[in-house]
Amino acid sequence: MKLRLRMLIPLILTVPALLTADFSAAAEKRLNVVSTLPNFGSIASAIAGDRIDLTVIASGTQDAHFVDPKPSYIVKLRKADLLLVNGLDLEIGWVPPLTQGARTARLMPGGAGYIDCSAGIRVVEIPLSLSRTEGDVHPYGNPHYLTDPLNAEVVAGTIAEALKKADPAGAQAYEDGRKAFVRRLHEALFGKDLVDLAGGSKLSREAQAGTLDAFLDGTSVGGSPLRAHLGGWLGKMQAAKGKAFVTYHKDYSYFAERFGIRVVEFVEPKPGISPSAKHLEELLTRLKQGDVAAILTRPYVEHRSTDYVAERTSVKVLTLPIEVGGAPEATDYFKLFDYTTDQIVRALTGGSPAAGR
Amino acid sequence: MRSSVPILAVMLLLGPALHAEPAPPTSEDVAALRREVEDLKRQIQALRDQLRAGLLPEQGPAPAAVAPAPPVPEAPPSPAVPGAGGNAPARAQSLLNPAMSAVLLATGTTSLKRESDSNGFDMSEAEIALQSAVDPYTRVDLFLSFPSGGSPEVEEGFITTLALPGPLQLKGGRFKNAFGKWNGLHTHAFLSADRPNALVNFFGEESLATDGLSLSVLIPNPWDQYIDLFTEVGSALEGTSFNNDRRNLTFLEHLAWFFNTGPNSTLELGLTAARGRAGASETLLGAIDDCGACAGLVPRGELQSDVSGVDLTYKWKPVRMNVYKSFLWQTEALQSRRHLDVLMDPLGTPFLDPQVMNASGGYSHVEWQFAKRWRVGSRYDWSGFPDDDRARERAISAVVRFLPSEFQEIRLQYKRTSRNDEAALRFDGERDDSQIFFQWIPVIGAHGAHKY
Repeated sequence: MKLRLRMLIPLILTVPALLTADFSAAAEKRLNVVSTLPNFGSIASAIAGDRIDLTVIASGTQDAHFVDPKPSYIVKLRKADLLLVNGLDLEIGWVPPLTQGARTARLMPGGAGYIDCSAGIRVVEIPLSLSRTEGDVHPYGNPHYLTDPLNAEVVAGTIAEALKKADPAGAQAYEDGRKAFVRRLHEALFGKDLVDLAGGSKLSREAQAGTLDAFLDGTSVGGSPLRAHLGGWLGKMQAAKGKAFVTYHKDYSYFAERFGIRVVEFVEPKPGISPSAKHLEELLTRLKQGDVAAILTRPYVEHRSTDYVAERTSVKVLTLPIEVGGAPEATDYFKLFDYTTDQIVRALTGGSPAAGR
Repeated sequence: MRSSVPILAVMLLLGPALHAEPAPPTSEDVAALRREVEDLKRQIQALRDQLRAGLLPEQGPAPAAVAPAPPVPEAPPSPAVPGAGGNAPARAQSLLNPAMSAVLLATGTTSLKRESDSNGFDMSEAEIALQSAVDPYTRVDLFLSFPSGGSPEVEEGFITTLALPGPLQLKGGRFKNAFGKWNGLHTHAFLSADRPNALVNFFGEESLATDGLSLSVLIPNPWDQYIDLFTEVGSALEGTSFNNDRRNLTFLEHLAWFFNTGPNSTLELGLTAARGRAGASETLLGAIDDCGACAGLVPRGELQSDVSGVDLTYKWKPVRMNVYKSFLWQTEALQSRRHLDVLMDPLGTPFLDPQVMNASGGYSHVEWQFAKRWRVGSRYDWSGFPDDDRARERAISAVVRFLPSEFQEIRLQYKRTSRNDEAALRFDGERDDSQIFFQWIPVIGAHGAHKY
């Protein structure tokens, strides 16, 4: 028994010392925000600027479904005041081991610092029944909602509210930051002219309700219909409207709805399931109908399948980022859409897309 | 008050005139003013059109005359309430049930040893997992095992604190001990079909597991590295190195130190020391049984047994293509120091000789993932036996793993084992053995994410 006690003495002595140890620099305390994915980090950064210390876990070139829950992230999480997550089970494979490892109640689901950014999002493709025969389905619906820039408006609201709650002294700064972000978002999406004429909120409401086209065509300003003033990403993407696309994974649903493109087929036969030779042949047959404008793929998926079909048809393959940092040009959430829409339009108008792989 | 307003207005209008003589306007000024007036006219027309179209907000600041229309006040942000989306009911319902999953382990084994009991096909194990938060403070992970031919048992069942103060986490119940890397894994998470020889020889057919408590402390450090210290105490389950008498507690310390060696690679170092009590070894009891003149010999029980280990794991996974390519090198070395009695019979008079026996063992496993669904690996095993310091065995394995999806795995393993004479005695005198394992492992339901 003596020996056992002796074994425990060093531990008993060390633990209190370790618990009280603080190795952090005595710098001014800023809000520590950890974001699972780069897009949320970019939005938080646009809202809060220098008021927060931001850490982003996944890289923009990484598949958000399959990030490795490295223990080093646990150390980063332990210091976090807020954890921004995509939610809708996108990070189910890696966030739970991290939050549990961080052993901090506020960062657990339901905790004050756990910010599920999917709150308030109109989620699409919520399955009525669940079966893995359908592949790796997301039970709460399609989680790639930030591919619609208007959803960033909702996310900005969620993040700003969380920041205000965690740092009341900065509430005004966060609200100003949010407003500026949303204003910039509206201008980037609809074009500055149109926002000046019609107001960003009105346009956003019409777009969310799916009545933007009717509104733009049915309203005239100074004798010309509002549509003449449409600019920004939506204006640019008018060239792609109604065009058919094939995407690798089912992660363009929100994007397609916002920009009016049609996703007619997937390279994956089912979400998360690798394409078989048979499926690729079927895809080739579909592509040979000649109406598909381009195949949209991601930087982190294999390109053998897309190369295979591209070599046998004249369809272009575009490797487009879904997250900030997914391409060198996509340095923030705005540049992400600048780049994405540029690439799509350039491919449609016959220009060769910049090498995105 | 009202009567003073016109007077003030007159004063304001006349004020500048009384103080300064206005300069005669130049033709440029006139042109600029004309442009400005044209601009204003256009803006007024636009605003009229907007009013007619019902575009302007019912409330809000009136647009300034010259400046472009100010941004319309944005809609208030959505409340940041988790589950406020249209999918809230589904979430709430799901959260009330524990995550449930079942894992089947269908194993086929063929060996050179024709009489080996393990030859043939076998539903070697089925595992049911129930995992859920209990309340805001704790969660429970329960793994029920249905071994082939055995009765169901709790393989693991523990409660874990979620919110102890500081960097502490306490686990209580039945759990696989934090001894190195492999010991804590469930069979479906193995890198091969079988467990490394050293772990089998040192701990038995099952992992080293304890009914007890485990305290983990994340040690703060100036380098912001992940250093986790586990202290575990409890009654060990039936195994080779530690007995399962409840009064004989087993103690274990494990230190895990994790480094990022680059954006694509990591290194983890672990050190473990475990101490408990062991009774007479199976070998000794068998030898006493076999010896006619040993009837009076009673071996001592509850002797001290120590097992220590070091583990090193290197992982390479390119951030961008981590689903398609990876490399892993995992090595563990174990050392056992065990007090035990050995049967001696130099002059025809058998007696028990108290001895301290040292044994060591380990494995080194490499695995290369060359496609999303394919991995090939190889393992080298070397191991002694804690109750016989002369017995040794070595083995080399080649493993192919095929994972059609995240929820299914097929393993094929070839293993060649060679033993010295002393070790062969434990395996019906077989010095060499070649085995082929086939395993098919599906997982259904919601299975909790594995640690890195």
